[in-house]
Amino acid sequence: MFERTRSNGAKATRRQFLRTAGLVSAGGLAAGRSLMAIAETVTLPFANGQRSLATFPQKRPLILITARPPQLETPFSVFNEGLLTPNDAFFVRYHLSQIPTSINPEKFNLAIKGKVNSELTLSLADLKTKFEPVEIVAVNQCSGNGRGFSNPRVAGGQSGNGTMGNARWKGVRLKDVLNKAGVAAGAKQVTFNGLDSPLIEKTPDFIKALEVDHALDDDTMLAYEMNGEPLPMLNGFPLRLVVPGHYGTYWVKHLSEITVVEDAFAGFWIDPAYRIPDNPCACVEPGTTPKKTKPIARYNVRSFITSLADAGKITAGQNLTVRGIAFDGGYGITEVLFSEDGGKTWREAQLGKDLGKFSFREWTASFRPQRAGAYELKVKATNRIGQSQPGEALWNPAGYMRNVVETVRVNAA
Amino acid sequence: MSYMSFRNLLLVIGASGCLGQAMALEIQLPLETGVFTQDAGAEIANGQCLTCHSVEYVTMQPPFGRAFWKGSIQKMQQKYGAPITDAQVEPLADYLTKNYGIMTNGGVASGTAVVQTPNAHPAIADGPQIAMRYGCFGCHDTKIKIVGPAYHDVSAKYKTDPEAAAKIEQQIHKGGSGKWGPTIMPPFPQITAPETKILTDWILGLK
Repeated sequence: MFERTRSNGAKATRRQFLRTAGLVSAGGLAAGRSLMAIAETVTLPFANGQRSLATFPQKRPLILITARPPQLETPFSVFNEGLLTPNDAFFVRYHLSQIPTSINPEKFNLAIKGKVNSELTLSLADLKTKFEPVEIVAVNQCSGNGRGFSNPRVAGGQSGNGTMGNARWKGVRLKDVLNKAGVAAGAKQVTFNGLDSPLIEKTPDFIKALEVDHALDDDTMLAYEMNGEPLPMLNGFPLRLVVPGHYGTYWVKHLSEITVVEDAFAGFWIDPAYRIPDNPCACVEPGTTPKKTKPIARYNVRSFITSLADAGKITAGQNLTVRGIAFDGGYGITEVLFSEDGGKTWREAQLGKDLGKFSFREWTASFRPQRAGAYELKVKATNRIGQSQPGEALWNPAGYMRNVVETVRVNAA
Repeated sequence: MSYMSFRNLLLVIGASGCLGQAMALEIQLPLETGVFTQDAGAEIANGQCLTCHSVEYVTMQPPFGRAFWKGSIQKMQQKYGAPITDAQVEPLADYLTKNYGIMTNGGVASGTAVVQTPNAHPAIADGPQIAMRYGCFGCHDTKIKIVGPAYHDVSAKYKTDPEAAAKIEQQIHKGGSGKWGPTIMPPFPQITAPETKILTDWILGLK
């Protein structure tokens, strides 16, 4: 298994002190306020891909996509540190600029209202004590993860493949909370709103919706912990919706309001935002507009090499274990194939420990580069229902759901 | 975290005395550093785009032409409710295309906004003209609060503060938040020192 590294011991110690003292504060404690600490820059492999590494509260230096509202990408090397993405390295994606920066969890409330038999207001303590706690390991992935690689390029957050992460989420089942309120007959969808809000009144608030059946399934949950710690503020403290197998857009942060509705919710962030072509590949001819769209939903299959980066150097004639991760929308990864010759021939990789069908699945493949020179390594996964990855990237206007077979080019010497 | 809230934090710790009990989580977002390139039309970008988001939303985009930028402006206007006037659409599209379009973003990556040497400005007349030049009125009015505080209120707040001018100048150059609420003001380091002094004196002189 992977080694897990701890970062920044000094910061952890200070946080530890504050937690012991009864108040957790993240960010500078010095008088005055620090400018964004730009440690260094990285260049993502597409045009205009130069990015700063910036340090935000409770986070190690991450790739700065945007400062306000914060959008931070996980450097890809983190995915080789372990199957669970550390909280301080987990990507951040907001839509609206008014984000909460101070929350007292003892005063935080979640309202459940709308088409329910009895409206509820639950404190965090209520959630922790009056419902059965559950844990699930699940990938949270941005709809536009890898958008910067779209060809032709498309507008939006220009991320590499680091707007994803895998965490152990702890909380309660959404269905248990909804059943306590009692979903009334005729309910169609459930909407979710968090504490973030638009600066301008006319900007649509970030509200997402799920079908009632989906909201009442066994997996959808309200999480108050992530990898054994309270959620970092920028990942939704103190409570977020977790929709395993479904794109991060549904994982509403700072979740404060759940409303059961009798009609299909048609807010901006469901329509026209976050739509994909309504066809099996969620794709269209590059540069064209889909005739019909539907809301983005489940992840497709993806797999990555994490132990080697593009332009990496390896040693000819020596055995090498290549490893990486694979995941899908919750059916479970059943096979990972590895190629050392650009996809001409494939062989089966070994699957690692199974942390659940919504988790990253580790894979390893042994590789002995016989000759010196260039090697084109590829990885391709298949899930339980036979879904796999396309050899050529599929395209849609928003740059969503990228899942092409990834290639890492290395040189043996 | 400001000095005041640092003190409050210590007071909370001192007064509560109940170790181990979770209270509040508070974070302090770092101040932004990115700025728009100073050029004709930058005042519209400063006054409109920066109200709701930082410059990287513009600077990270791929090499796109004018149609993309005009379309983006109209999307902000029509879908996100940005108060961009119709008369501002074309000059803003010109500005974004010239400074962040296919010619500038098509070559070697230039993702991080850098402070440009200010253009040679015509002779400076007064505070309101400088505020116009940099788009300050996108978020500030003299008399009423828009996104940021009214300049009259700023003047009143700092009336007896001997360090008022230094504080306002720092706020202009580095941005900040917390003094008037959580809304973040982006930095405007491109406003020159003489301009900043005139602007500051004008704001603090409002009665």
